[in-house]
Amino acid sequence: MIKIGFITDRYHLEKKSVQFLNYIKNLANISIYVEEDYLINFSNYYFDEDIFFVKAKGDLVLNLVKLIEHETDIPVINSSKSISLAFNRFLNSVVLRKAGIPVPNFSLNPVGLSPPFNEYIIKNIMDQKNYAFIPQFQKKEGYLRVVDVRAINETSGNYPKYTHLYYQEFIKSKWEYKVYFIGDDLFYFRQLPVLINPDKMESRIKIERIPELSEMAYSATEAIGLKISSMDFLKSKDGNYFLTDINASPNFNYIKNGPKIIGDYLIKQAKL
Amino acid sequence: MKIGILSKRKGHFTGEIQKHLEIRGHEVKILTANNLNINEMLLNRDLYILKSKHLLYLYAGYFLEANMIPVIPNTNISYIHKNRVESYFSMKNMGLLCPKIFMGTFKTLKSQLQESSFPLISKPMLGSGSRDVKVYNSLQDFNVPTENYLYLENFIKGTHYLAYFIGNEICICEKRPLSNEHQDTELIESDKEIEKYLIKWKEKYNLLFGHLDLVRETNTNKLYVVDSGTFPEFTNWKRDSDPTSKICDLILKEYRALKN
Repeated sequence: MIKIGFITDRYHLEKKSVQFLNYIKNLANISIYVEEDYLINFSNYYFDEDIFFVKAKGDLVLNLVKLIEHETDIPVINSSKSISLAFNRFLNSVVLRKAGIPVPNFSLNPVGLSPPFNEYIIKNIMDQKNYAFIPQFQKKEGYLRVVDVRAINETSGNYPKYTHLYYQEFIKSKWEYKVYFIGDDLFYFRQLPVLINPDKMESRIKIERIPELSEMAYSATEAIGLKISSMDFLKSKDGNYFLTDINASPNFNYIKNGPKIIGDYLIKQAKL
Repeated sequence: MKIGILSKRKGHFTGEIQKHLEIRGHEVKILTANNLNINEMLLNRDLYILKSKHLLYLYAGYFLEANMIPVIPNTNISYIHKNRVESYFSMKNMGLLCPKIFMGTFKTLKSQLQESSFPLISKPMLGSGSRDVKVYNSLQDFNVPTENYLYLENFIKGTHYLAYFIGNEICICEKRPLSNEHQDTELIESDKEIEKYLIKWKEKYNLLFGHLDLVRETNTNKLYVVDSGTFPEFTNWKRDSDPTSKICDLILKEYRALKN
């Protein structure tokens, strides 16, 4: 029986991974590394797993993954670099645009200085913590501006974390398209944009493959280095798709048989 | 040529570099956290000098390089040397000795570390120099309840050195433990092993200039690298040559090489 190392944090272990662990426990031995309890000793370690699966994105998790990547040849899904890039909105915008993938215009500006476009959404630079998007809507001089309260909180107070805000040009779209990527397989969904209906699952429906999204999803995951991902796309008035968000730690419980698809994929990818 | 300097400060060494390059006919603008907008507006300069390694300036560096604007020193190399874990693996892979390192939450570290691992020193994960570092001599002494994770290194007891290089010129100084780059040091005429470390590091990353902080352990005489930097202030450069003009020459030469 192969051995899977599952690297996670308490939140993901308790809230997001129960179905996956129930499925995989009969097919593989599982060792669980929980961020809050694990001491990373960079000069005294022993790993005998055949594959590692990472479902979390905290700094300790990333550094444990770095240790495994540097010191062993055990495959890790997803890699530390791809996870870091996925949660860093600014850096992934840079990498994705360089790879030729359409992303909305973006800018990183000091607080109080406007970006070079009129309608925008302010997002947190690093989407690393386990908390939800809290949008606030403003209409200024006829232009729509959406602010994620988390981003503002991170630049205010006595000890602001950032001096800058990440601005993404606002794309008006009737639907938001969600594409899950597992190994080589893509799963397509459509829902009302979260800004219109925060309960994304209420309007979500499975849809047929969209060739443009398929091409963009493969290119984006390759550029960032992800093996498992979910991506959000918006379609502009002139019919062009834009990738607005890429995630290294998707909730695969939202896909039919998601935990099984992930489990089977990991077993296939395990070190021989 | 239009040159941008990505720096948290306008004065000190950054100011000297600006002055020097302006005298040589270049138009130089220093971009700090107050006036740095990272978008297409940055792309109107020919060259950027990455003086500070704070994440903001690294973001600018990555953005510029993705848009084919030269950045010196290279952004990713600056990141590797700023991030303590990346730097640890980088030094280790080169065969340079580094202190043992540990990471975890305070609770985990307190409950799982052995007394034999002490003394330990906590350092900010991203950073260099002596800012926000603290030494713990024993498990009992280790008492910093925090929700954040901690990065700890074995604290090496011994003689501390600050070792600079600019091009092929080397300057090695002895310094007080945990002192910053600007405090008084004493020039060491020669230390072959430190020179070997510097050359190895410089050649591995094709660096034009930089510095290492090292400690020679009293008990074992072993030499450890405890910090690295791609763009120090060179406050303790004690050679006859002028670091500003040397560094500007090297940067401009590197720029011409990148363009050809």
